[in-house]
Amino acid sequence: MANMKTMFDLNQIDSQGGRVDVVSNEQPRAAKNALEVRNLNFFYGAFQGLKNINLDIEEGKVTAFIGPSGCGKSTLLRTLNRMYDLYPGQRAEGEINFYGQNILEPGQDLNLLRSRIGMVFQKPTPFPMSIYENIAFGVRLYENLSRSEMDERVEWALNKAALWTEAKDKLNQSGLSLSGGQQQRLCIARGVAVKPSIILLDEPTSALDPISTGKIEELINELKHEYTIAIVTHNMQQAARVSDYTAYMYLGSLIEYGKTDEIFIKPKRKETEDYITGRFG
Amino acid sequence: MPDKHLSSQFDADLNSLSSRLLEMGGLVESQISTAMRAFTQMDLETCNVVIQNEKLVNDLEVQIDMACTEVIARRQPTARDLRLVMAVSKAITNLERAGDEAERVAKRTKRLIESGAPYNINVAEIRLSGQMAISLLRRSLDAFARLDTIAAAAVVEEDRQIDEEFRAFVRKLISYMMEDPHTITTGLDMLTIAKAIERIGDHAKNIAEFVIYVAKGADVRHIPHEDLVREANK
Amino acid sequence: MSQVANIDQAVFAKRKRTNKIGLILSVLAMGLGMIFLVWILSVLFIKGFSAINLNIFTESTPAPGTEGGGLANAIVGSLMLIVSCTLISTPVGVLAGLYLSEYGDRGRVAGVTRFVTDIMLSAPSIVIGLFVYALVVAQNKHFSGWAGTIALALIAIPVVVRTTENMLRLVPGSLREAAYALGAPKWKVAFMITLRAAQSGIMTGILLALARVSGETAPLLFTALNNQFFSTNMNAPMANLPVTIFQFAMSPYDNWVSLAWGASLLITFAVLGLNILARVVFREKVQG
Repeated sequence: MANMKTMFDLNQIDSQGGRVDVVSNEQPRAAKNALEVRNLNFFYGAFQGLKNINLDIEEGKVTAFIGPSGCGKSTLLRTLNRMYDLYPGQRAEGEINFYGQNILEPGQDLNLLRSRIGMVFQKPTPFPMSIYENIAFGVRLYENLSRSEMDERVEWALNKAALWTEAKDKLNQSGLSLSGGQQQRLCIARGVAVKPSIILLDEPTSALDPISTGKIEELINELKHEYTIAIVTHNMQQAARVSDYTAYMYLGSLIEYGKTDEIFIKPKRKETEDYITGRFG
Repeated sequence: MPDKHLSSQFDADLNSLSSRLLEMGGLVESQISTAMRAFTQMDLETCNVVIQNEKLVNDLEVQIDMACTEVIARRQPTARDLRLVMAVSKAITNLERAGDEAERVAKRTKRLIESGAPYNINVAEIRLSGQMAISLLRRSLDAFARLDTIAAAAVVEEDRQIDEEFRAFVRKLISYMMEDPHTITTGLDMLTIAKAIERIGDHAKNIAEFVIYVAKGADVRHIPHEDLVREANK
Repeated sequence: MSQVANIDQAVFAKRKRTNKIGLILSVLAMGLGMIFLVWILSVLFIKGFSAINLNIFTESTPAPGTEGGGLANAIVGSLMLIVSCTLISTPVGVLAGLYLSEYGDRGRVAGVTRFVTDIMLSAPSIVIGLFVYALVVAQNKHFSGWAGTIALALIAIPVVVRTTENMLRLVPGSLREAAYALGAPKWKVAFMITLRAAQSGIMTGILLALARVSGETAPLLFTALNNQFFSTNMNAPMANLPVTIFQFAMSPYDNWVSLAWGASLLITFAVLGLNILARVVFREKVQG
């Protein structure tokens, strides 16, 4: 438990939003894994949703999960922040190492974990509060900021989500007064504001129009410099556009995992090639 | 392509690209053999036929390129399909240039005929390499149709022979021209014709290299021959 | 071509006829209901309006045989009973509804709670009044406003529990998940997010519960009884409008009967007002 507290020590983040522990740009970074999944099996009651998953999610990169409906990609994403724990009858076996700590071990502080591994969902879900409060809610859970510090954090988060210019004059209006694309960006701002290490995106643009989708993809591109991102998408071209690594899943198993360029130009497995070229027959 | 896409229109589009490539290849093949016949028989009419038909080859290149672009725009092809479209787009360039070489042969032959000077150089090498070039082109297109990488590797190997023939012919031509400077003009035309045939062989080789690219995903241009054979046999 | 058109015409004509018949039947049914509603309201209005004057709000109920008088004590008493009932039933009902929706859900305790709530919802109010009589009034040997409050609360709480639970269930699971995903503990998710999202629906439920208890007479008969004089002592019998109506309506005194009509009108307006308020609050939620 003490280990986890040190690792998650929030004092490492200063109020300007900079990370104190980030390696400076001058030194080349050795590829480090934010998450290592080992022999992960997942069960919905008696049904096995994930079969022996093994993969690494590299720090500072975008990893995309693609595959047909029911292949387990959303299930896998939801094990990464133990979201499945909310529902009885769902259980996971195996290891998921978050910077060395196995998050599947019993006795974890799940709430703290979820503040370090954030998630944005398919449907935009602004809280029934003002835009300012939407963002402040998450921050207040684990940090004690003064009013001016909170103002800064809110502005910073909205800037990160490319929403500041549109929202700065209506911070006190309800989050529900924004358009769909703006609401989703608000949800992203909310997730970013608590400064997690990893951001999980579960089909974040499925419900949005092409322009909003484009803005969010651009956002992902900028966020990846400071965060590790895992994205589930049923849109293959989106995976090709935004990700550095792609994982193809089918019926609960990981079929192929590799650099996005390789997967989309020269995949190793025929099943992968069949899926991405549209040979579903 | 053995497997079918969910979209049958996509299947049809890709198949159409391949078959139009082969159609253009057939046209270029016949251009080359007609040009060689014109050279062997020193027939003016035949030369003109080749020169006129060159326009058809150019039109086909433009049309097929447009079709490739449309497939990319509409379908965003990936993996095998993407490589196929890229390969077709490049292969038609090679074919169009091969067609240009055939026209060049016809034009030079025409000049030889009009200048009236008979030639007494033994042009067996030219005829031989002409036949080899046509065979190589046909085999490279066959390999493309079947995506047969072994056959493609063989084409790449045999292009070397055409290059050998060409070098032999050049040596012969040089000694001939040194003996009798009056034959230099004729000799230069012959050189151009021989060079054109040698280039046709190179174009066939390029098409064969694309076969390996489409089938195996390896770009084998500019790599040592042993590596190419290894990729082809994987 | 014309054959096809003829067939279509026949089908169309039949459909129009059926539609018309259905429409007529519906209008008749509505009319029947409306007639009685308008009749009741107009009788109430006519008879009650004449009793409404400033005295109603300033003078207490008159003694038998005396002239004039008003309803001041009954109005104040009813208000006190309703307010104290609200103060008890709202927190209990909302928290119980919250428990059922967010914590207990399918558990044994939740199942039992729902069962009991359902029974109490349909329990006759006179039985509840009797229960409180036996428990409180008989023990203390006197009627009181507190006993009345308890009885009214026992009627209001199940309504609040039921509507609170339903409104909370309407909040999409994705909203809760979004809060959990930020690392919020369960109680914060329940109170600061889910409850807040359902707040206008829950308030509507509370208002409707109030509207219901404002007109309840039977339970008050056994608990608060009535008080002829102006009093704000909740420990003693409390004047209230429903029981006043009960006592005055069939009496031989004209002014009493007139006051009974006036009280009926007041109660009706109060209930109507609460219902309209509930609608307005709810509409804001739907549009907002």
